[in-house]
Amino acid sequence: MFDLSSRSAKVVFGLCLAGIGFFLFAPLYWLAISAFKGNAELYRVVPTPVPLHPTLTHFVTALTTGKLPMYLTNSLITSGCSAALNTLLALYAGYSFAKYRYFGRQPVMLFMLSAQMFPFGLLLISLYPLMSNLGLLDTRPGLILSYIVFALPVSTYMLYSYFSQVPDELIDAARADGANDFRIFHTIVIPISIPPIVTVFLYSFMWSWNDLLYSMTLIVTDTKRTIGPGLLLTYLNEVNSDWGGAMAASLLASAPVVIAFMFLQRYFIQGVTAGAVK
Amino acid sequence: MALTEVNRPLELPVSPLANRRGLRAGQRRTGILLLLPAIAVFAVVILYPFLKALGLSLFRYTIEMTAPEFIGLGNFRTIATSGEVWNAFLVTAIYVLFTTVGTLVLGLGWALILNQPFRGRAVLRSFSLLPWVLPSTVSAFIWGWIFNARFGVLNAILLELGLIDYPQAWLSTPQGAMLAVVLTKIWLSIPLFMAFFLAGLQNLDREQVDAARIDGAGNWAVLRDHVLPHLRPVLIVVVVIGVIGNLQQFDTIFALTGGGPVRATTVLSIEVYKQAFEQWDIGFASAIGVLWVATLIAPAFFYLRMLVKGA
Repeated sequence: MFDLSSRSAKVVFGLCLAGIGFFLFAPLYWLAISAFKGNAELYRVVPTPVPLHPTLTHFVTALTTGKLPMYLTNSLITSGCSAALNTLLALYAGYSFAKYRYFGRQPVMLFMLSAQMFPFGLLLISLYPLMSNLGLLDTRPGLILSYIVFALPVSTYMLYSYFSQVPDELIDAARADGANDFRIFHTIVIPISIPPIVTVFLYSFMWSWNDLLYSMTLIVTDTKRTIGPGLLLTYLNEVNSDWGGAMAASLLASAPVVIAFMFLQRYFIQGVTAGAVK
Repeated sequence: MALTEVNRPLELPVSPLANRRGLRAGQRRTGILLLLPAIAVFAVVILYPFLKALGLSLFRYTIEMTAPEFIGLGNFRTIATSGEVWNAFLVTAIYVLFTTVGTLVLGLGWALILNQPFRGRAVLRSFSLLPWVLPSTVSAFIWGWIFNARFGVLNAILLELGLIDYPQAWLSTPQGAMLAVVLTKIWLSIPLFMAFFLAGLQNLDREQVDAARIDGAGNWAVLRDHVLPHLRPVLIVVVVIGVIGNLQQFDTIFALTGGGPVRATTVLSIEVYKQAFEQWDIGFASAIGVLWVATLIAPAFFYLRMLVKGA
């Protein structure tokens, strides 16, 4: 698009590339190498740009003596269940909005979408007593249910815009063959909708996996704690800050979403930007 | 692939079967039935808490009280005279302004760069998305470590370049702490903005750009007269989504500074959290929350209007 044959254009382009690239990637690089530095090398006033004596100490400590594996397991359970529940709900709701016509369809859909503007922090004020009354405070089901707040509106919209593009002829043909609507949805529509379904699952999984506020507030017992507050409490509390441990644990805690994302990013980006970009 | 073709939803073709009255009523029922589970959960975890918070803003309700006591607009009167809450609004305005503008400029710049063909572009694009998917605590750790007063790499670099004479305790000064939370948010939002801009750039009319070039337009003219006007709709989407997200941001700020030093980075989300879960003053927290929602109404309205147009 830009013509970079002139010298000055090359210089400007190169400077922008280097500048923004440095801002984006240098912190990631610093995270990665700090995790492999021993404490002696970590706590120096003039830091070393590459680890002089790379060591796995912090990883070993995080995985064997700390509670990190427990926090990771808890996060996996709550985020996985919540993402599954969210995807299931959004799947049927999105299909309903896209392929059926009934009174109040559009207002209900718009209202659900407008829920995006309800700040999560505000909802938490009354979610807390609600969970307490339901006996779900400090339980995994309570957190799983609360996590629905993050992604349900957008997930429904993402699946709605996908299902809107599924040709009606496909559904009508199956109807003419005598299949009922539930069967059509489960045996014909869902099999051709795997990419957007996976996208929505990953989208909601990411929200819960990355959460700090809800888990910190709704979970009190350490054995049920997820990685967000778990990392914070373990590595940076009032008494000590263990930066090497924090960096190693950060890498371990990021791995699941980063790996899933690397494989699925194409669908993911299409899904998230769908509707907003025509 | 169907996912990439953005068509308007087709109207249901009138098949002989669909005209039968009973079948249409049956389909209406099926449609509502499919929607019910989502609506039920939505009502319990989103709608009810929202309405409840709106209602509680009119009550005095602290943890020691057995039942809320109606005080009308009392909480709002307290807010009007509370310097701390006004300060939270001011801090939020500064935070949202700098994060949104910063991400917009850098996200757009990065998308334009990654839209040029060069070797290694695909890899760079993939890796550019990383900051976005990291857990918020991890982002806070990364930047907390960079900004660390004693061993932070930022101090080391600035000292080396001669820009500062002695190490700065960034997170202990109001401006330094604000800088840290703003940079963290910009850093982790650039990927999302970039993805939107790249998607928008895909359907830029290249022939038009080429024609302009033949007429002698330079890079700057192409950017100003073709690329930016073309990206205008995406730009609006991105700003709205960005503002909504930045107004809500809690995790990275809480993990990095806890809203401090003193109240320098206490944005509304932190203020509401502290009132509700540290002071346990639920009524007052709800009242602040209601005003917070009011600030979100304008961007949310634009967002919805866009979605309706898009659908």
